[in-house]
Order: sequence, then C-alpha cells, then structure tokens
Amino acid sequence: MKPSEMFDPKWVDRFVKAAEAAAATVERIGRSPEALKSALVQAAGETEPVLLAEPDFLPPELFAPFRELSNVITHPDDKQLASVRIGVTDAFAGIARTGSVCVSISKNLGGSVSLFAREHIAVLDARSIVPRPRDLFSNHYFQRERLPENFVLITGPSATADMGELVRGVHGPGRVHILLII
Amino acid sequence: MSQYPADADFRIKPREVADKSSRETLSKAIRMALAVESEPVRRNTNTFNQNRYTAVRTIDDYEALKDRARAIKEKAIEQIESSVAVLRKVIEERGGHFYLAKDGADANAYILEVCQKHQAKLAVKSKSMTSEEIRLNGVLEGAGIEVAETDLAEFILQVADEQPSHIVAPAIHRSRERISKLFKDVFHPEQPLETGEDLTKFAREILRRKFLTADVGISGANIIDAETGTIVLVENEGNIRMVTQAPPVHIAVAGVEKIVPHWEDLAPFIELLAPSGTGQPLSQYTNILHPPLKMPSFSFDGRPRRERAFYLVLVDNGRLRMRHDTELKRALYCMRCSACLNVCPVFQVLGGHAFGGETYSGGIGGAWEAGTGSLEKARFSELCTGCSRCVRQCPVRIDIPWLNTVLHDRLNQLDGKGAAALFFGKLFGSESRDREAGVEKQFFGNYATFAKAGSAFAPLSNGISALSPVRHLMEKMVGLDHRRRLPAFQKNTFTKKFAAWQKGREKSSGGKARPAKVLLFADIYTNFLHPESGMAAVKVLDALGIDVRLSDVPAEGRAALSQGMVETAARRANRVAHDLENEIDRGWKIVVPEPSVLALFRRDYKNLLNNNTLFEKLRENSLGAVEYLGHYLTENKIPLQAIFDANRFPPGKRLFYHGHCQRKSLGGIPDEGALFTELGFDVVSSKVECCGMAGSFGYKKEFYDVSMKIGEALFQQIRLADGENPRTIVTGGISCRHQIEEGVHRPVFHPMEVLEKILAAEGGGLS
Repeated sequence: MKPSEMFDPKWVDRFVKAAEAAAATVERIGRSPEALKSALVQAAGETEPVLLAEPDFLPPELFAPFRELSNVITHPDDKQLASVRIGVTDAFAGIARTGSVCVSISKNLGGSVSLFAREHIAVLDARSIVPRPRDLFSNHYFQRERLPENFVLITGPSATADMGELVRGVHGPGRVHILLII
Repeated sequence: MSQYPADADFRIKPREVADKSSRETLSKAIRMALAVESEPVRRNTNTFNQNRYTAVRTIDDYEALKDRARAIKEKAIEQIESSVAVLRKVIEERGGHFYLAKDGADANAYILEVCQKHQAKLAVKSKSMTSEEIRLNGVLEGAGIEVAETDLAEFILQVADEQPSHIVAPAIHRSRERISKLFKDVFHPEQPLETGEDLTKFAREILRRKFLTADVGISGANIIDAETGTIVLVENEGNIRMVTQAPPVHIAVAGVEKIVPHWEDLAPFIELLAPSGTGQPLSQYTNILHPPLKMPSFSFDGRPRRERAFYLVLVDNGRLRMRHDTELKRALYCMRCSACLNVCPVFQVLGGHAFGGETYSGGIGGAWEAGTGSLEKARFSELCTGCSRCVRQCPVRIDIPWLNTVLHDRLNQLDGKGAAALFFGKLFGSESRDREAGVEKQFFGNYATFAKAGSAFAPLSNGISALSPVRHLMEKMVGLDHRRRLPAFQKNTFTKKFAAWQKGREKSSGGKARPAKVLLFADIYTNFLHPESGMAAVKVLDALGIDVRLSDVPAEGRAALSQGMVETAARRANRVAHDLENEIDRGWKIVVPEPSVLALFRRDYKNLLNNNTLFEKLRENSLGAVEYLGHYLTENKIPLQAIFDANRFPPGKRLFYHGHCQRKSLGGIPDEGALFTELGFDVVSSKVECCGMAGSFGYKKEFYDVSMKIGEALFQQIRLADGENPRTIVTGGISCRHQIEEGVHRPVFHPMEVLEKILAAEGGGLS
C-alpha cells in the first residue's frame, strides 16, 4: 500500500484535531501487540464481553495478546452481534481533514461490529492517514484494487438532529474511540 | 406574536396543500406554514448555514472543486445512455440486478415484484427522495408489505402522515415540542418523551426490532459511478448502514441522473455534499458499497440464513425528457445538498410545505416538480424572489433563480389568454408573448410605464394612490397589497435635478481635463423615487474630479424579469446593453447606484443578451457607486479616510448597514459595511439574507405576509443594534429602503448619501 511511503506527520495532528471535533476520542499508542492490548483493556475492560472483528488490514499478530483474553469474542453468533456493547475493529485508512476512520465491510464483520456496538474502538495505523477524502479515490495514494470492496468512512459517533436537538448514538455507536498507532 | 391560531387549532394539513397546481392552495399553504412551521425552519436552516460557511472554509480549493463537480455533471448528463449500459453490465457481472424504470408505476411494480419474490413481509427503508417521488410506500403497503421508514425524520413523517419539507432534513418543520406531542398522541408512551434524547431512544428501540427482522432493505443512492458500479450513501444516524447490511435483500432506488461515469468522479461529490448540506466536513457515515455484500447474511430472529441479493432500480420518470429541455436540464446537475434551501430567505420563513411541492422543495424544487410531474405543480416557484443568495452556494453552480424565472415564464403562458391581460399587456409595453401574463404581472413588469405617468402627475398621483379606496381597488385589480404604500413619485426627477445641477456647474467650473469618465446609470427607481441618492453619487464623484454624465432612463428589464416576462426583459436588456456599449467603447465606466440593476448587468443579462461578448463587456465595465469610488481612490493613491472622515458625518458615527441580497451574491464585490468601518464608523451589519421586499415581491397581496415575516428578522436586528440611541440606517437597494422604512418608521440612506453628507459638512471635502 502506498500511503505509508507518502506519510506526512503533520497529517496526524490534523487528523486528531478533526476527529475530536467530530466528537470521537483519540489515543496515541505504541506499535506493539502489548501496547495495543493494554490500550484496549484500558478502554474496554477485562470483564464485559467485547467483540473483536478480525482485522482486514493490520497484521493479526498485533491483536494476538488481546485476542486471548477471556472476555474477547471473535466469532460472535448473531445474537451476540446484535446485543454487544463494545466492539473493536481495525481501520485501513484515516482522513486528516475530516478525522474519519475507514472500516471495511467484509466477512470479518468489521462493518457490523462498528455498527451494532454502542461503543466502537477503532485501531488505526497513523501511517495510513491520507490528507483528504479524495485521496481514497486517486491512484496516487490507493490503488483501486487494494481498496476494500465495501467500506465506510466513519466520522465520529452516529448522530441526529431530527428530534429537535443534537443527540449522539442513534442506530450506530454513541462513542467512537480511536487508538492511533504511532 | 403570530396572527394565526396556535398549532393545535390549525386545521390545514401539509398533505392537503402539497399539490400547488392552484393559486388558492399555494396561499393556504403559506398561511399554514407561517402559523405553524416557520420558527423551527428558521432556526434549523440558520444552523445549517453557519456550519456550511465553516465547513467549506476547510476545503482549500472549494471554488475549483465546484467547477470540477459541475464539469463532471455536465458530462454525466450528456452521456447518460452509455453510462446506463456500462453500469448495467457491471452490476449484473457481480451478481446484482439492474432495472431502468421508465416511470414511477414501472419502478413500483418492479420493486413490488422483487419483494414478493423474496416473500418479504417487512421492508426497512432509508431516506430516498426518489421513492417519495414515485410514492413507493403506498404501493408496497397496498400489497400487504409493512414499510418502516428508519431515518428518524422520515419516521416522524410516517407517523404524522406528512410529506418531506426539506430534501435533506425532511422534518425540519417540526419543533421538538411538536414531535413530543405527536409521539404522545400516537404511541401513548408510559414515560413522557420530552428531550431529544428520550425521543431518539424511543424511536431507536422500535426501529432496532425492525432492522433485525426485516426481509428487505430499501435505500436511495447519493451518487453511483458507472465504471465500478459503486453506490455512495451518506448519512448520520447509521440507519443506512443497517438497511444495507442487516436484511438479506438490498434494493437501491435512485434517479437515473445520479450516475457519474468514473470512479474518480465520486470524490468531488463526497467532499462537497456534506459541507454544502448539513455543514459537516463529512457526514458521520459515508458508505462506499459494491453490493451484494460478500459477508453472510444474518439470522437475528432464528429464521434460516438467506443468500444476499442486490437490486439497483434507476428511475427515469421524466428525467431523460428533462435532458432535452435546454433550461430545466440544469436541474439534473443537482446533488440534493439543500444549500439553496437553507440560504433562501423565503424558505427560511416558510419551509418546504409552502415553498415546495409534493416531493421537492425550495428554489431547486420547482424545476424538479415540473420535470418529474407537471408544470402546474411548480406553481410554488413563484415564491422565488430572485434574490440570488443561493447562486454562490450551489456546489454545481446551478443558476436557480433563472430556472425559476423560466418556470414563471412558462406558467404565465399556461395561465394567460385573459382578454384583460392581453389588453393591458399591449398598453403597458409588454412584448407579445408576455401579454399572456396576468394583469398583476403586466402592472409590476411594466413599472417604468407607471413611474413615468406617476411622476408626471405627482404629487396628485401620490395622493390618489395613498387613498384607502384606491389601495383596495389596486389590490383587487393588480394584486397590490392594500397594507403597502406605494413609494411616492418625485416630480423633480433625477434627470431634471442633474440637468439643473450641470447648468450651474458649467458656469462655475473651468475647462480642466478630467480623464476619469463615468456614465451614471439613471435607473427608473432612482430617477422617479429617490433622485436625491442619485444626486449624492453625482456630487461625490464630481468632487473627486471625475467627469460624470447621466444615462437615459430606460426600462432595463429588472421588473419584467421578476414577473417571468422573459421576452420583454430580453428585449429591454438588449436595447440597454447596446446603448451602453457605445459609451463603454468610448472609455466610459458604467456606474450603477441601484444594486438590483448592477446585478442585472453583471449577472442576469447573461441569460438575456443575444451576444455573450457584449455581456462580458458590460459585466466588466459596470460597477457599483461605492465600488467604483474605491477603485478610483486606490488607483489615484488617495487615502479614503482623509476625504471621508466619519467624524464629520453630522448625524454621528453609529451606522446600521444592510447589504442588498443581489449585490452580496455577486461575489468579488467589496463589503460596504467594512468600508464604513474603515472610515471610522461604528457599524453593525445586518445578518439576514434579504430584507424580504425583493422588488415587487413584498408589494403583492399573495406574498405580503411572507415578505414581512422575512423583514421582521431585519427589523429586530436594527432595534437591537439601536439600543437607546438610533443608528443611521444605510442600504443601497431602493426596495430594501422601503421595506426598512415601513418596518422601523425612519428614513434610510444610500451609502453615497452618507459620503456626500461628509463632503458637504463643515470642513469636509477636498482641500
């Protein structure tokens, strides 16, 4: 994938600012399975069931220590999927201008876990941040063949203003927490 | 505050007034909207506007991106047939189904068949204006299939049985209190639902059950590219994600104009849509889909898993015909962002139940109702005042006021044939085609004819027109609201005053050469109604050493254009432009003190002149009075403050400035309020899009209440800025001036009058 070769550290700050403006929270973490595990445990706890969608983009080994915890479910049945409170997915890209994380919708269930959970924890490699939405559509950053077939740009928690005031957490998660691997 | 009965007592239902074919229905809808829906619409559109201004500032190449989006759309509509063929192949090759429906009935029959094939009992649906247009729900429900609208606003509308009042926020007309009451009456909840949080939670729980048991999900599509068959769906709530992922069958329904040729073409629309609409950098969710999805379907309710299936239903329903309509074709470029609705002063006080039809609303709505329904249904497009605030907000640069003028013109033809109209039309000077327009339009569209006569017989004519019986007669005959006073015609016109002034000046001045030459355009409004502001411009320019002459006083086409009398307006425009061209060729700049006429020369003439080179010439060489002055002083390195010191303005330094809507919409024109601040004035500028008068709009009986409702916001801002101590009110537009004078009962001045008073004051002027 090209992005890591073209990565500009300025985009990280911009990404964090934009994501926070979109009411997501962002935490920078180190590039190791242990660092990821400890951040995930801190965010999700060790007792409540947590759904982990197998990563579509990040190396599966990165999640190995976390996956072994007893409260982590990796192959949920449909009931678990529909009723889970906390869900973890990876993201294949981030967008600096808008603070969006891009999650693929595949058999790995990232699309569903990031939708059904009340709280979504997204793991993003800072090196896969691109400056603008349009950069997902240009061969300059992403060869089209390398993009997931189906994906969603997630910009903060689901929200509505239809009931007369801003409410976060409608059909999708009411909280989005981004673990940014630096 | 409202002169209408409260909500609970108001018996007009939005659905009853959705079809605006008749003028009576339009009036009824306006009454209903002003009484019941105005306040939430104003509040919500203002939020969208503020957010939009912030969001588009984050796009560093915003203007270029709009050009790109427009170019893509032009090409896309041009090659729509070949795109349909490519898209069909792409969708079918990946296991989806493709259907191009020729009209609503065709689309509905196909979708019903698909639902029945999959034995659907429950369909969950996300927002789709196209499905509203074709009335899909009724057809499915008629066949015993439950349809659940899952966008919260659409859910509210389904419960209330109302049509959308906005293309992006369809329940924008309902306050939280009215939603709360609706839910109480319909659902009888155990706990009272008062906050937005309560209401959302309540609806979410109902809908979550639907998502998990639905057989079919029906979505719209914001954009589709032919090359890869990508369906882009933009949303905030997550209901589209549910609709497209939870049920095994996904049907996407969209207008055929939503196809763009290539994958790369998607990006500008994704970047422009949310900023232009809700004013978010991106919506919460932007779904990029190539259905059918590869992941297995779910079985939340224990039924066996079914194979995923995808159907793309594109609807023609008049769109391909619209493509051959040289004018309405441009509406097909619309990406349904709603910026034109939110920025529209009329929409802000009415919403889309009055300023809208059965499906589509706002300035762009008329062309859509006409294109997908019939011309009569676009009757509400007469509510477009031509203020042009939407023009620069449209991400695909559609000239929406012009589309409405075209509809206006066609409606005139449809309504016409009245003997009285033909008679008056000829008498008053309309071109033959436009004599079909109603008597009222003949009156307003030929204002120059009346102004000339009124001035000749002033002050008698003013006295007569001010009489109550005459006002009621005028209301009956030409639709002039009896609550309005016609502005007084001046016997001593601008032309006459200028001639007298010139005579005196020739005696006193020497033969010193004056290289800067200005032809001041003496529009009919300045000439007959406010000669003093024209003379102020003359005196200021003259004092700075500029050679000033006055044009003739021709009807320049603004009045005719505002009545949709395009042939008459074009005839007048071509005549005026040719006359002015001679002056421009001789090195004269055209200075136009009246902003509505300046906007005509710089913008609207593009649609009226037969010769585009002539338009460009006129556009480049016509300037507002203050604008010209600014250029002149800068070129000659004369410091502005030295000449026009605010301290020398006799009434004091506190000003209230209101910018004319069409002037503000030109772009690249200096902010006069900022200029006065630079001179040392303490300026408060209005924050409204328009004063609401908009030429003849506010004088019409049909629209008087709308006009005053728009004006109310401006009057309030003035009162607030005044505090204990009234400010001097300044505005360039003559109709703004009349509106404000009626609203706050004190005189209003043209910017040039303020500058002239500084020059004339003790110790002022050039040394």
